[in-house]
Amino acid sequence: MSSSNTGPKENISTSQAAVMVINYMLGAGILTLPRTTAEAVRTPDAWISIIVSGLIVLAAGWILVSLCKRFQGKTWFQFVPEITGKWIAFLLSLLVIGYFMIIAASEIRILAEVTGLFLLEGTPIWAIVLPFMWIGLYLTLGGINCIARLYEIILPITLVFLVLALLLSSKIFDADNLKPVLGSGIMPVLRGIKPTLLSFTGYEIMLVATAFMKFPKKATRAVITGISVPVVIYTFTVVMVIGGMSINGVEKRTWPTLDLMRSFEVQGLLFERFESLLLVIWIMQIFSTFTVTLYAASLGWSQILNRKFRTFVFALLPVMFLIAMIPKDVTEAFKLGDTVGYASVFLFGVIPLILLLVSLVRKKGAKPN
Amino acid sequence: MNRLIRQSLRIIAAMLLVLNTGCWSSQEIEDLSIVVGLGLDVANESKFERDIAKQGGAYPKRNVLTATVQIVPPISGRGQRQGQGQGQSQGGSSGGKAYLNEKLTGDSIFQIYRQFSVRRDRPLVGHHLKVIVVASDLAKQYSLEQIFDFILRDNDIRPSCLVVVSHRDAIEALSSSEPGEIPAFYLTGLVNNRYRSNKILPPVTLIKLDSTMQSGTSFLLQNVVTYNGEHKFSGAAIFKGSSKKWIGELTQFDVEGLSWIRGDIHGGVLKAYAPGGYTVTYEMRDSSSKIIPKVKDGEISFHIKMKSEGRLIEDWSFPEIPSTEGYLKEMEKVFEKQASKQIDQVLHKMQHVYHVDVGGFDKELQIKHPKLWKKIKDQWDDTFSRIPITYEIDIKITDAGSSTD
Repeated sequence: MSSSNTGPKENISTSQAAVMVINYMLGAGILTLPRTTAEAVRTPDAWISIIVSGLIVLAAGWILVSLCKRFQGKTWFQFVPEITGKWIAFLLSLLVIGYFMIIAASEIRILAEVTGLFLLEGTPIWAIVLPFMWIGLYLTLGGINCIARLYEIILPITLVFLVLALLLSSKIFDADNLKPVLGSGIMPVLRGIKPTLLSFTGYEIMLVATAFMKFPKKATRAVITGISVPVVIYTFTVVMVIGGMSINGVEKRTWPTLDLMRSFEVQGLLFERFESLLLVIWIMQIFSTFTVTLYAASLGWSQILNRKFRTFVFALLPVMFLIAMIPKDVTEAFKLGDTVGYASVFLFGVIPLILLLVSLVRKKGAKPN
Repeated sequence: MNRLIRQSLRIIAAMLLVLNTGCWSSQEIEDLSIVVGLGLDVANESKFERDIAKQGGAYPKRNVLTATVQIVPPISGRGQRQGQGQGQSQGGSSGGKAYLNEKLTGDSIFQIYRQFSVRRDRPLVGHHLKVIVVASDLAKQYSLEQIFDFILRDNDIRPSCLVVVSHRDAIEALSSSEPGEIPAFYLTGLVNNRYRSNKILPPVTLIKLDSTMQSGTSFLLQNVVTYNGEHKFSGAAIFKGSSKKWIGELTQFDVEGLSWIRGDIHGGVLKAYAPGGYTVTYEMRDSSSKIIPKVKDGEISFHIKMKSEGRLIEDWSFPEIPSTEGYLKEMEKVFEKQASKQIDQVLHKMQHVYHVDVGGFDKELQIKHPKLWKKIKDQWDDTFSRIPITYEIDIKITDAGSSTD
């Protein structure tokens, strides 16, 4: 059934699936993550929170994929009806689609805010956002294969430049800023889990991607790789940012990762300033998060309504733009992002577990092996 | 027909590329005033402003501070005229000045910034601000948190900008009598000389200032002294952690003592007088220190272990005493005594004169005894003044230079 909607031979390799998860996860969050974590933790142990929530997300990802693997070749929108019946499934699919749409919209909004503030001051929001969305549209129309291939190009560039930029900040890195470790006990770390979980949204793309995998059996491996890489990247980022700016410095900066890049200049290299470099790779990451959610939302609509995929890609674009423009300011944009983030904990942490249990009890779907 | 449409669509698409070069809100660099230095002084209206005010050109404001912006490059001719018109001491009258200082008075730094737009045709841009000089007189009256609020919020000014304090007026520190010299660059350049002198504090950038202010500890900023368009880094300005106001100064001698305690010497000089009364000089190559906090029955004490290696670089003994091993050992003691003097003096100033901890003792206590720290951190500066501090210093002369006699 899916083939009729999205073209014939669409399948992605295991590594492509992993890359999709990574690119989806690395998004708007990386610029604000050190602050949101520092605000909650208030001790230099913020990085431990990241690792802990990374482990939690790994478990959630594993559950989610175990569910998907029981229904080979089917996406969430197609297999949920088998478990719960038509109406509940319809509701659940709508929730997931709505979630994807709001994520896409909030990414666009954050993109507009940051480029407006640091890169293209004076350029109207629509002039930044519209070309971005159109290119996203163009990519999404190509289907999951094109998306996956582009992500394979984007990811290495992102990783190389991000790590390079962060390493350059070792100029202002001071290990004392990260001490004492667990000086106030374990409680601060636990407080940090809630906000950090938000930055790990992204593994839910497996709800869709597993269906297209050449070897669905390897979906577990894909999701584990897909989550581990962002965990490492995030931990590294938070360590460098707090080490460079100290916990007190991070708490009050709106875009701490960017401010870290702005806090030093390197003389003698080709560039003196590296924040534009960071912004460029960051925009690529926003682009990938945007396109993958646009794709997932459009596919969702097309599968639950059984209509052509392309129509929905075109139809969703203006809707997403409008949603993106709803928040009145940055604070509200952050809040929107946080709200859907918390929704994701419920949608993709709790519900898949319930569905998995129900499908086990009612013996729906095939055993993965 | 169909082909025609397709052709014309192609041409339109190609033409769209022209619009796609990404220069929407670009500003030509020639049309901008690039600010490289910012000086903040106590309000002192210039002749220009007073005269303008007489003509009715004033806006409602209190005179709180005078902001000086240093612009490079000055527009030829015009900078000259304005410099003379304002009648400020902007260095000598030699025509080769590479910068332009402009000052305005007001009570909101941002408003002052924007006020330049009704005064200059080229808008100010802050992306390349290198140094901010705060006059000690202003920092006595207002908390640095107030003074720097705009600067820390602004999205143009980079957090890598250096912050220094001027003993006299900031505008003086941003003026130079040397033709072709840009004081803002000069001041940032001085910081890089830390590998030659331990009289220079580790640079405090905006981001460091922000995080230190947030943490509530007392801190130091590099002090600049000026005379007639020439400057020198000398000592440090002390800021109280609770108020973020200027409370005093450390001398160069104190800063040297502090560098021993902090153990972050990248190079420097220690001069002492040998028992015979002649000068001997030690060049530090390497130094390290360890502050060890000790807590016994709730009583805190600190012990500092300092180590340094270097060479005997100058010896005025006459007739020349050969630098034998025994002699070097003797000299080591002499240098240790001199370093102790520096350390004693700065410890005395911290504990008994200014009652502030600017030596990094708080951080060590926080790392080793986080629970205790939580209890006492609010009145740390007072507690610190009563804490006994012991230290040991070990100077090792590893060589005596190229000539040993």
